[in-house]
Amino acid sequence: MIEVRELTKRYGGTVAVDALSFRVRPGTVTGFLGPNGAGKSTTMRVLLGLDAPSSGAALVNGGPYAALRRPMHEVGALLDAGAVHGGRRAFDHLGWLARSNGIGTRRVAEVLEQVGLAGVARKRVGGFSLGMRQRLGIAAALLGDPGVLMFDEPVNGLDPDGVRWVRRLMRALAAEGRTVLVSSHLMSEMELTADRLVVIGRGRLIADTSVRELADRFARGVLVRSPRPEDLAAVLVAAGGTVEPARSGTAEDAPSGTGEGAPSGTGEGAPNGTGEGAANGTGEGAPSGALSVTGLDAAEIGERAAAHGIPLYEVTPRSASLEEAYMELTAGSAEFGAVAS
Amino acid sequence: MLDAVAAEWWKLRSVRSTHVIVSVAAGFAVFVVLLAVQQAHVWDGLDAAQRTRFLLRPLQELGGWVAQLCLGVLGVLAAASEYRTGMVRTSLVAVPSRSRFLAAKAVVVALTGLAVGEAVSIGCFLGARLAVGGRPFPDQRAPIAHDLPGFAVSGVAVAVFALLGLALGVLLRSAAGAIVAVVLLWHVVPLLVYHLPGPWNERLGSVMLSGLPTEIAGLSARQSIYGDLLSPPAAAAVLPAYALVPLAFAGLALARRDA
Repeated sequence: MIEVRELTKRYGGTVAVDALSFRVRPGTVTGFLGPNGAGKSTTMRVLLGLDAPSSGAALVNGGPYAALRRPMHEVGALLDAGAVHGGRRAFDHLGWLARSNGIGTRRVAEVLEQVGLAGVARKRVGGFSLGMRQRLGIAAALLGDPGVLMFDEPVNGLDPDGVRWVRRLMRALAAEGRTVLVSSHLMSEMELTADRLVVIGRGRLIADTSVRELADRFARGVLVRSPRPEDLAAVLVAAGGTVEPARSGTAEDAPSGTGEGAPSGTGEGAPNGTGEGAANGTGEGAPSGALSVTGLDAAEIGERAAAHGIPLYEVTPRSASLEEAYMELTAGSAEFGAVAS
Repeated sequence: MLDAVAAEWWKLRSVRSTHVIVSVAAGFAVFVVLLAVQQAHVWDGLDAAQRTRFLLRPLQELGGWVAQLCLGVLGVLAAASEYRTGMVRTSLVAVPSRSRFLAAKAVVVALTGLAVGEAVSIGCFLGARLAVGGRPFPDQRAPIAHDLPGFAVSGVAVAVFALLGLALGVLLRSAAGAIVAVVLLWHVVPLLVYHLPGPWNERLGSVMLSGLPTEIAGLSARQSIYGDLLSPPAAAAVLPAYALVPLAFAGLALARRDA
């Protein structure tokens, strides 16, 4: 259990965290999201007793972290995987950590095995890749078999296999009833890992919600393409839906689930050669026969269209675009945003 | 506390810099003994008048003096390398009590400094005596038991330098800055003080850290750049202050600072 209450942290005149409150419950993976500079790492540092709060409280298992005598048995944390002495061997790095909390060396060998670093235990950390350092940091967090785990950007630098491994590990840890807080600035990553989301921007809480609620809240209706868009629009409006022409060729209208992964994200009409596709080449604003429908779900749209003999080329619910939801949520709160052209 | 001390000991012995520093100090002790062998040969070629002015003690004291610098650097690195890599956060997550963290580091650094300091200082003393054999150097006529405490104090001064380095490492958080500060206190400031107009050269020269062992042993500092105005008990009180006062400031800074 992690609890942050009205937490404020100032560095000189800069407010890094501003009256932030949220709770992280056991048995779930909670994604801690925000743009760079939003205050995620600061919040974690305060939670771990590294930085003192300017006001408010950050509690772990009901008390301040600094009051814990052998904290690694209760809380495991990965803050910065690069923060290791390059001259020390992996086994020694975990060894001194374990020793500081009265944990035996057998456990060190166990976690090295668990994160897949057993083969390089006697190698100096200086020669490790970023991905290996991430694994070493995760091993350190697991040493004391803690009930609360905090990971700051754990997939940075990992290859796809490593990313998947971390994802599974987080889910497995939560399934065992542990409290897991994972920070990230990538919504696409959290979408696959987290059950709940705490979104912050400029140090303030933007959303504290489940992944599903957030998706529903930012539902964009259903994208429909048909060679007879006018007929279809009339039918759907009659059925109680709201219909707008969808703009093609822009990233915002890509009917993709993850923002990045879907191959259709580059303009939906073009590969089919239906005629409207020509509009795609000339860019934004041109109607392409694609409609954005709200108020009706994909099944209802399909049935209405079939009842009226209108062919459909595509029916894509756009409720899963968490990336967009996140961008919308954090718009204006990015600390170091580039100026849009 | 024992866990924290054991962890700090593991940290210290698992990096190469520690081994290098201790090897340099030990190597220098061997070098001193080799120089003593050479001094013995020089002695053999001198006439009686020259022999009365030929001293061995400055050479014997060289080992401890170099060990002071080496272990001062070791103390600096014990703290500053954690700040350089950011590992200090990992350390404070493992041991959240800042006072326990610093105390554990101080215990390990002090004991390492003491062990190396005594080994080098007493090793140079006894090794040089062995090397010159029965040759009656004017400053080697006292029995070993008479001169040994002086060299033992010099070994303690090595531990004080190690702690001073540790405190400076915590305060400055930079190895380069803290090592420069250690070198200043080790030799540069005493040299400057030596050139001050009297009586200040003598007064300030008496409280220079490297000169304290001589004063504690009750020896004259006429041959050195240091003063000898302090009584042995007064000098013995000033010596630990060089470690404890900076450590107290380091403890305050550590407690008040965000890591």
